[in-house]
Amino acid sequence: MEYGSVEREIHVDASPGVVFEVVSSPEHLREWWPDEAEIEPAVGATGRMVFYRAAPEEALVVPIMVVDAQPPRRFSFRWVYATGAVPGPGNSLLVTFDLEPSGEGTRVRMTETGFRERGWEAAVLEQAYQEHREGWDYFIPRLGEYVARLVSLS
Amino acid sequence: MTLAVDDDLWSAIGEPTRRRMLDLLLAEGAGTATSLSEHLPVTRQAVAKHLGVLDRAGLVHVTPAGREMRYRVDEAQFARAVAQLAAVGAAWDARLRRIKRIAEAIQRTRDKTNQDKTKE
Repeated sequence: MEYGSVEREIHVDASPGVVFEVVSSPEHLREWWPDEAEIEPAVGATGRMVFYRAAPEEALVVPIMVVDAQPPRRFSFRWVYATGAVPGPGNSLLVTFDLEPSGEGTRVRMTETGFRERGWEAAVLEQAYQEHREGWDYFIPRLGEYVARLVSLS
Repeated sequence: MTLAVDDDLWSAIGEPTRRRMLDLLLAEGAGTATSLSEHLPVTRQAVAKHLGVLDRAGLVHVTPAGREMRYRVDEAQFARAVAQLAAVGAAWDARLRRIKRIAEAIQRTRDKTNQDKTKE
């Protein structure tokens, strides 16, 4: 087991182009992760993700920087760094999505690295971002609405 | 539990030689600087130094054994370190499931639109 990174693989029955859009565009990002996302899928672009909390003034605003964007093959970004800092190895977490055609669909390989360099605190922070958003009561209604909206557009 | 302590724990477990040492200690049940150095491409002195780091992070227990010290993995502390990263992994599992559902819904919509166009 590698203690300094998280690696996952999943098959998606959608083309790499569609998956690339979902992992990189703000309108899709906020359906699977933050409540708000402002980012342009271009190398070097900086943006932010906002995670809502109970009170609006407690919302977490997190900077994000695109490291690599090669549609429809790869999208990677850095996050979990101090606002105003220039993200790089040692002060941030690096998330990479590698998309490979597989049959009719896509093999998605996700890696998140930098825990060893960034330290334990980053893992705690990463977990914290997720914790308040976990729970089916929050996601299922949202996802249902989203899919219904997509279907109604067709 | 403070973050400073957690950072020590994380950097202790993050170094490749120390991870290898933890693996060996878990496999063998216990070990000494001498026994560990026999399995590693580093000197006994280097192993002793790494064991000191693991000890300060609470990852190993030390008991005297003759002229040497015997080390065992502190399983509770080790489990804490592993659980922390497992939680991050679980968060990504959930995110990836959502990515999958969203992408597949879009793909179905597009396929349907294309089929309808073909029929026209």
